[in-house]
Amino acid sequence: MEEGSQATDGKKRVAAYLCGCRGAISRHIDLESIAKELSISPEIVTVAMHDALCSRDGQKFLKEERASKNFDRVAVAACSPNIQGLIISRALEEEGMNRYLFEQVNIREQCAWSHADRDEATKKASKLIRGAIARTMELEALEDIEVPILPSALVIGGGVTGMQAALDIASEGFKVHIVERSDELGGRAYKLSMTFPTHNCGICCMQYCKECVFTPKIEDVHQNENIEVLLNSEVEEITGGFGDRHIKIKTPDGTVEFDVGTIIVATGTKTFDPSRILELRYENKDVITTVELEQLIVEQRDKGGGLKRPSDGKVPETINFIQCVGSRDKVKGNLHCSLVCCTYAIGQAREIKKVLPDAEIYIHYIDLRGPYRGFEEFYDQAKGEGINFVRGRVSEVVEDHGKLFIRALDTDSGDLLNIPTDLVVLAVGQEPADGSDVISKMLHIQTDIDKFMKDINPMFPSEFRRGVYVAGTAQGPKGIRYSIEDAKAAAASAIDLMQKGKIKFPRIVAFVDEERCRGCGRCRDACEYEAITLEEDKEKGVTVSKVDEIICEGCGACAAACCNKAIMINTFKREQVEAQIRALLQEAEADG
Amino acid sequence: MAEGKGGSFEPEIIAFTCTWCGYPSANLAGINKIEYPPNVKIIRVMCSGSVESCVIMDAFENGAHGVIIIGCLMDNCHYVSGNKKAEERVEALKELFDVMGLDSKRLRTEWINASERTKFAKAVNEFVDEVRALGPLPQMKKAREAEPRTAEQTKEKVKQIIEDTSAFDCVECGKCTTVCPIATFDPNFAPRTIVLRAMEGIVENIATDRDIWTCFACEQCNAMCPYKVDYSGFIRGMREEAVKYGAAPLCSQGGLIHSVQRIMANADLNQNRLAWVKDDLKVADKGDVFYFVGCLPHYDAIFKDRRLRLKDICESAVRIMNKAGITPVVSNDEKCCGHDLNWTGNESDFEKLMEYNVDLIKKSGAKKVVFTCPECYRTFNSDYQDLLGDFEFELVHISDFVKQLMDSGDIGADDFSKTPYKFAYHDSCRLGRHSGIYDSPRQLAEGFSGDNYIEMERTKDKAVCCGVSAWANCNAQVKKMQIDRLQEAKKLGADKLLMFCPKCQVHFDCALRDEIPVDRSEVDIEIEDFTVAMARLLSLMEEPKKEPTGTDE
Repeated sequence: MEEGSQATDGKKRVAAYLCGCRGAISRHIDLESIAKELSISPEIVTVAMHDALCSRDGQKFLKEERASKNFDRVAVAACSPNIQGLIISRALEEEGMNRYLFEQVNIREQCAWSHADRDEATKKASKLIRGAIARTMELEALEDIEVPILPSALVIGGGVTGMQAALDIASEGFKVHIVERSDELGGRAYKLSMTFPTHNCGICCMQYCKECVFTPKIEDVHQNENIEVLLNSEVEEITGGFGDRHIKIKTPDGTVEFDVGTIIVATGTKTFDPSRILELRYENKDVITTVELEQLIVEQRDKGGGLKRPSDGKVPETINFIQCVGSRDKVKGNLHCSLVCCTYAIGQAREIKKVLPDAEIYIHYIDLRGPYRGFEEFYDQAKGEGINFVRGRVSEVVEDHGKLFIRALDTDSGDLLNIPTDLVVLAVGQEPADGSDVISKMLHIQTDIDKFMKDINPMFPSEFRRGVYVAGTAQGPKGIRYSIEDAKAAAASAIDLMQKGKIKFPRIVAFVDEERCRGCGRCRDACEYEAITLEEDKEKGVTVSKVDEIICEGCGACAAACCNKAIMINTFKREQVEAQIRALLQEAEADG
Repeated sequence: MAEGKGGSFEPEIIAFTCTWCGYPSANLAGINKIEYPPNVKIIRVMCSGSVESCVIMDAFENGAHGVIIIGCLMDNCHYVSGNKKAEERVEALKELFDVMGLDSKRLRTEWINASERTKFAKAVNEFVDEVRALGPLPQMKKAREAEPRTAEQTKEKVKQIIEDTSAFDCVECGKCTTVCPIATFDPNFAPRTIVLRAMEGIVENIATDRDIWTCFACEQCNAMCPYKVDYSGFIRGMREEAVKYGAAPLCSQGGLIHSVQRIMANADLNQNRLAWVKDDLKVADKGDVFYFVGCLPHYDAIFKDRRLRLKDICESAVRIMNKAGITPVVSNDEKCCGHDLNWTGNESDFEKLMEYNVDLIKKSGAKKVVFTCPECYRTFNSDYQDLLGDFEFELVHISDFVKQLMDSGDIGADDFSKTPYKFAYHDSCRLGRHSGIYDSPRQLAEGFSGDNYIEMERTKDKAVCCGVSAWANCNAQVKKMQIDRLQEAKKLGADKLLMFCPKCQVHFDCALRDEIPVDRSEVDIEIEDFTVAMARLLSLMEEPKKEPTGTDE
C-alpha cells in the first residue's frame, strides 16, 4: 500500500485544518480556541486555520503544508465534503497524499449555520473535528479500482432516442447492438404524422406518413456497418459489471450473446389506457385517444382527406378534446404531468381546423402546459383560428339515445356545460413502457415515485452510474427534441468512456476477511447487486465470500448482514466509524 | 454527561445519515439557516442499511443517549432496499434495548428526502426533546482504561501464566493437537505452538495473534494432556494479556453481545428481563431456590430472526419446578454471569458482574441456585468459587436438579411421556468437560426415551464442540465442525439433537441456515433444548408449530 511520501516509518500522522470559509464559519465559530485545544501530539503533526481552503490560495497553502510537513493523513473541518471537499482532497492528492487518508467534517452547514449560539456551535465543531481526526487515524491507504471498458455498446430500445444514440456511438467506430421489442425501428415518434408546435413533418421525416418517401434515419441505422439491429427481441439477462457486461438477447432466431462496455437505456413510454377511467366512456367507438386520432387522419389522407368518425363514418361537426387523461390524477392515473399532451392536442385541433374549417372544437384543460419555444404563439394562433379553450376538468362523457355529451364546468365563467359532441378525443398521458421495470431491475437503476428511471444527479443528465445511461422518455415524459438531446449526451458520455478504454473509481466497496468468513451466504443474500458469490478455496478446503469490486456499489448491506463481521466496506469499517463516534462522545470527559 | 447552560440535562445524539438523502437534507437545513439543537452529531454512512447494531450499541456504551438513523424515503432508497433493512434491524434491536432497560425510544429511524430540510429539522428537534425527557443514562463504561502494558511487563505476566497453568511441563508430545477439534479442520492451527511462542517470550505479536482467539477452550486438550497442562486456563490468561497489550478481540456480531454484557457490568439499568414470566407461572422474590436465567431474554431478542424460542427454556424450567411444588426466585435484577467477558480478557468487568450476582443471590435468601445454562453453571461453580471461595448456597444444574426431584419422588418417572422421536444428546463443553456433568442428562434421557435414545459416537469427554465459545471465534473451519457434528447425529438415525446450552443451539442453528457444502438431508436434524424437551414430555409446554428448519431466511 502506498503511504504518504514523507511518513516512511509507517507511523500514522495527521494534519488538521480548520476552514473559516471567508467568515461564513469563522464569524460563528471560535476556530482559534478549537485550534488551541487540539494540542500537538506525536500523532497530530499540525493544526492550522485558513480563510478558504477551497480557494486557489487555500489549495496552494495545503500543497505547501503537505510538501513541508511530515504527515500522511488529513482531517478537515470545513463545509460539506460532498461539495467543496472534493477540491480540498484533490489538492492534497496532487501533492502525493493518498486520498483515502482524508476525512472532512462539515462545521459550516452542521454548526455555523444551524446553531445560533456561538459557544454551542464552537463546542460542537470542536467535537466534530476530534471525530474526524479519530476516524482519519483508522483510515487505510487504498488505490482506486481501474476498470477496463469494452469498446462496444448495447442500446435498449429502437425509438428516436435509441437510434440517435446508436448512430452517434457507431459514428465513432464502436460496435452497437440495438435491441427493439417490436418489428420495426422508429418507436412512437415514427407513428406521428406531424410534430408540434412547428407543424413539421416528424423528426427527420420519421413518420408513417405516406407523403414521406423515405425514412433516412431508420435507413441510416440499418445500413450502418457498426450497428446490429435486433428486432422482435428482448433483453433476457445482463451479467457482469462496469465496463464488461455480458448480454443475452432473446431473438426470433434464438438467443444472441455478446459483451458490451456501455449501455444506453432508451425504453421509452407507453400511453395511458383510458379505460381505467370509466366515466370517460372509452368503450364508445367515438371516444378515441389522440394516438388513434392521428391514425384516423393518416388513413383519411389516402381517401381524399378530411376526418370521419369511427362509428358511422360521419364527418364530425363538434369535437371535444379532454386533456390530462391519466395525468395529474392521483386516484385513477398518475400524479405526474405528461408534458407533451397539451402541445399535441392543440396541434391536432389545428390540423382538424385545416381540413374541417367549420368544425366546432373544444379543448378542456386544467392548465395549458407547453414548456417549449414557440408554444405561446402556437396557442395564440389556435385561439385565433376559433378553437374553444374551456378551463375545467370534464366530469364525464355521457351517452344518451346514441348521442354523446360532455359534462363539465367552465371554471372561468362558472357555467355548467352539457355539450353534444360527435367525437371525443382523449389526450392520454404517458407511463413507462411495459418491461422497463424489468430492465431497471436488471441494471439496478433506481426508479422514482412516478416509476420512471432516475438520474443520480437530476441536474446533470447522463451522469449515470457505471457506464449505464438512461436517455429519452425512459426518464420521464419529454418531447422529441429533448429525447434527442438526451441521446446525444448519453452517447457522448459512453463514447468518452469507451475511447479512454478504462476508468478509475473509488475503492469504497466491500472486501472479505477470509479468515473470518464462514461462507454462510448471508451477505450474498443481502446484496441487491449480485456482487457477492460463494467460492471454494481449494487450498484451505473452505467456501468463502468473494466480492466483485466492479459490481459492488459500496452500500454496506452485506457488512450489516454479516454475523461475524467478515465483510466490510472500505473507509466505512466498523472500527473507523466507531472511532469517530467515540471521539465525538468523549469530549464531555475532557471538559471535566 | 452533557449539561446545558442552565445545568439541565442535554442528551448526546448520534445521527447516522445516508450519503444520498439524510446527509444532504441536513446540509440543506444548514444552508437555509434552519436551527436545530447542537446535541445532534451527524455521522455520514453510505446507506442507512449499513448501520450495524453493534455500532449503535457501541455508541450507547460510549455515552450516546439516543441514536437516530436518517435515510431515503421508503421505496426510494438509492441502494434499492437499504432503508427497509435498516428499519427491520432497528425494530429487532429495540427489543434488546427494552430487555436491557435502555428504552427503545432512544432509537429512531426517519426517512427523509434530500430536499426535505424542514422535515429533517423537525425530526431531530422532536427526537432531542424526547430523549431529553427520557433523561440521562448511567455511565456505561468503566473509567478510563489503564495505559497499555509494555512488552516487558507482558513478558513477565505471560511467564506467570505459563507457570500457573503448568504449561512449562509441556513436553510437546502433540497429543493435544491430535484431539483438538480445530486442528482437525484447520491444519494450520496447533494449540502447542501458541504455548511454544509464549515460552520463547515472543509477546510482540500478542495483540494481533489470532490463534489465541481461535481456541474454543473446549478442553479436549486438557482432558487428554498427560502432564495436566491447563490449556484453557492458559488461553484465558493469554487473552487477558493480549487485551491489556492492546488487542481488540474479533467477536461475532461485531462485539454487540460483549457490549451488552459490559453495559450490564457497569450500569444499573432498569432491566426488563422477566417479560417471559407468564401469569400462570409461580415465581417469587425470595425463597430457597433461585433460578439463574442468564442471558436467554437477550439472546432471544438478538436472534429474533432465527425464531429459536430461547425464552421457552426459562419458561420450561419454571414449569418443571412448579410441577414439583417449587416456586423459584427469578430476579429482574439478575445480570450476565460474565462468562464471555471472562473468556475474552475482560477480568475487571467479569468481577463486577460476579460480585453483583453473588450479592443478589445472597439477598434472596436462597439455599440453592439452579441453572439451565451450562456456561452460567460453570462460571459460578468454577470461576466464582475459585475467586471467592466456596459459597454457602448450593449450585445445581437443571439436569442434576430434575434427577434429584425424580429420586425424591417429586416428579415421577411416569409423568414423562415417552419420546415419539429418536434423539441424541450433545454434551456441551461447559457442562461436560468443564463441569463433569455427564450422567444426569443420560439418566434422564434413558428414563423418558423408551428405546429412542441414541448415544453419539464422539460423546462425553470426547464430544465435539459446537464450534464457538464466548462469541470470540467463528469462521469457515467452525462451520465444517458444526456440519460434521450434525452429520454424526443424523447418521446415527436421530430425529432430534438435544442439548442444554443455548449457545450450542444458536451455533448449530447457524450452520443449518448457512449455505452448506453437503446435501441438506445429511444435516437436517431438529435442534432442541433439553429442558424444553423435558417440559414438553411432561406436557408442561406445547409443541411449537412446525416451522421448516434451515434456509427460511
